[in-house]
Amino acid sequence: MPLVEVDHLSKVFVRGERRVTALHDLSLRVDVGEFVTVVGPSGCGKSTFLHILGGFIPPTEGSMRIAGREVTGPGPDRGVMFQELALFPWRTVLGNVTWGLEAQGRPKAERVAIAERHLDLVGLLAFKDAYPAELSGGMKQRVALARVLTFDPAVLLMDEPFGALDAQTRELMQEELQRIWVKTGKTVLFVTHDVEEAVYLGDRVVVFSARPGHIKAEVPVRSPRPRSLEVKKSQAFHDSRNQVWDSLREEVLKFRQEAGTTHGAADD
Amino acid sequence: MTREGAAVLAGLMALWQVLASAGVLPGYLVSPAVIAREFGALARSGELFQHSAVSLYRSLAGLALGAGLGVGLGLLAGVSRRVGGFFEPLVSLTYPVPKVAFLPVLLVWFGISDTSKILLIALSCFYPSYIAAMYGVRAVDPLWIWAAQNMGARPRRVFLGVVVPAASVHIFGGLRVSLALAFILMLASELIGSSDRLGLGFLIITADAGGRFDMMFASILAIAILGFGADRLLLWVRRRLLAGYVVMEDSAHG
Amino acid sequence: MASALRRILGWLFRAVPVVLALAVWEGIARSGTVNPRLFPHLAAIAEQLVFLASSHQLGLHLGASMTRVVVGFGAAVLVGVPLGIVMSRVALFGRVVEPVFSFGYPVPRIALYPIAVFLFGIGHLSKVVLVALECLYPIAIHTYYGVRGVNRLYIWSAQNMGASRAQVVLKVMAPAAAPHVFSGFRIALPIAFIITVLTEMVSSTEGLGWLILYSSASLMQARVFAAVVIVAVIGFVMDRLLAVLRNRLIFWEKEAVLVAIR
Repeated sequence: MPLVEVDHLSKVFVRGERRVTALHDLSLRVDVGEFVTVVGPSGCGKSTFLHILGGFIPPTEGSMRIAGREVTGPGPDRGVMFQELALFPWRTVLGNVTWGLEAQGRPKAERVAIAERHLDLVGLLAFKDAYPAELSGGMKQRVALARVLTFDPAVLLMDEPFGALDAQTRELMQEELQRIWVKTGKTVLFVTHDVEEAVYLGDRVVVFSARPGHIKAEVPVRSPRPRSLEVKKSQAFHDSRNQVWDSLREEVLKFRQEAGTTHGAADD
Repeated sequence: MTREGAAVLAGLMALWQVLASAGVLPGYLVSPAVIAREFGALARSGELFQHSAVSLYRSLAGLALGAGLGVGLGLLAGVSRRVGGFFEPLVSLTYPVPKVAFLPVLLVWFGISDTSKILLIALSCFYPSYIAAMYGVRAVDPLWIWAAQNMGARPRRVFLGVVVPAASVHIFGGLRVSLALAFILMLASELIGSSDRLGLGFLIITADAGGRFDMMFASILAIAILGFGADRLLLWVRRRLLAGYVVMEDSAHG
Repeated sequence: MASALRRILGWLFRAVPVVLALAVWEGIARSGTVNPRLFPHLAAIAEQLVFLASSHQLGLHLGASMTRVVVGFGAAVLVGVPLGIVMSRVALFGRVVEPVFSFGYPVPRIALYPIAVFLFGIGHLSKVVLVALECLYPIAIHTYYGVRGVNRLYIWSAQNMGASRAQVVLKVMAPAAAPHVFSGFRIALPIAFIITVLTEMVSSTEGLGWLILYSSASLMQARVFAAVVIVAVIGFVMDRLLAVLRNRLIFWEKEAVLVAIR
């Protein structure tokens, strides 16, 4: 049984007079241990999709199941990583990472031990007493990753987590994430606008269409794991990348046309 | 003013009227109808106009003096580090001081005349405008200034064409606070030093002394109208001057 | 060593305008151009300060004023913070209560003081009521905006980590809204002091405002100025204390100075 099942998901936003169909009849399956990346043009609703999966926004139609159970709201069975600004600035790094376990009432010694283990995994154990304001963008995202791993969700939902980072940091973070994923074996659904990132990280790249968003294509990526950044130089990588980009470009052009006539995209 | 709010307000007024008419309320809570009647009487006799004019004159004169000086000096202080640095200790030392404490001093120095009241109002209005103007200037994005210089603008053009408009959002915020202060201090100075027998504050004191609650509420109503009207006028001016620039500013925002 | 020296020099430079102002004052007082009764020497003022401090007068008046400030401010906090929270969380309530703020803001609430005196006498209560009424505005408004402005990603992250509603409110919304709420306090406290002094000047039997007015009426100018100095110092100290408190409680965010004028 697949871990994540999405059936005929639709989302319509009503803003006063305007109705915006962000997602339409979207169906997807993700198996245990898979790393699925999602690419799509701006405004195609891929972030909305993730927010709905996270349980923060209700769908208009359709259903979602995690490990067979219907999704009804937010919860720690799906760990969400946002693009930025989700670390609590009034807590230290350790305070942030233990927050979830604290909310669940775990005893202090246990919380700290688990948190420190994950901080070590992302290489930031030395910074456990620092405050988020003192960290760089890449470091903050690593802390966010540690936080999300700490409460041990069944699946990780990542919403363009590296989008706010500079290109160099982004590349290094991609490799980091890949390394950590191989170690932890988590199931991941990763949204991005960066085709290369999608191909590098994913077992399978899902291409979203322009709005109303649904799945246009799925491109499997067969490079063996673990993948170092060297993989990006290989021919197979280029082929996969081109395949995804060709499929995507159509949608991007479609979106640009549409953007000339409408404005105010719903949650991207 | 939201719809629900206006409805609740109207409802409360109606309730007040009904309860007052029924004689259920204590003597000092005269009904809206009685207040309106007294308001009309004061208006017809010319007293309302006379006292309102005096109060308004004091407020606006003090505002013009204080805020005018404040904005002018504040702009200068924002542009010139030296000027700003010179005034900074004086301003930060005296800012938290309740200026109303100076009223007796002013009364002694300048007598029980408009001058002392206007000076007090000016003194209070100075601070918010000065601080807002200074920080408004300091907060201007340097990129804008560079862009203007890049296009060959001279310092005066840069100041008038970039710095002042950019700072104007903050300046209007300061002006709004100064305006509110002007009315508060006007009222305060009239409540305390009302022996010149003029002004809406004096009217309130007189009403209070005579147990005339209808007159007191009517005076309060007059003050409310003046204060509210002046604030709306300022907001209108701001809207006209800063058309697209100002992001929606909630009327409830201090 | 050099940096400490620089700090001291910095302090000295900042003191220059103040010293200058005091020198100008003394110059005018001594020049003989003004009546010395109207314009006392600094020494005379200092003498009065000592007198007030050594007699129990200072304690009496200071105590009375401070009591009113603290109680009025406290009442405004107790009412205003929950009010602001409910206003931002329950949209209907916010819309119903809103005219109190948008309509009431530019109207000087001080006009209601005579009524308050009529109802509650010239002692503490009438003043406390007015102080609370005035302070309510900035506190409620800032709390409202603070809670409304909490970034929804913080809330989602907390929910994602399995927090209950209570935990989200207490452990996420409260700290996230705190900076804004505190700036409401920072504005309200000076107002509390101003209104206290003001109402004491209009009608009272004790308090710093009363002291100023009574000394003035008794033609004791030097004492008037001494009282003004006391008021100034109190106002200044309160402001600094709040700044320090803010830096300790809300350590993760730099303060926007402009906050102080709203």
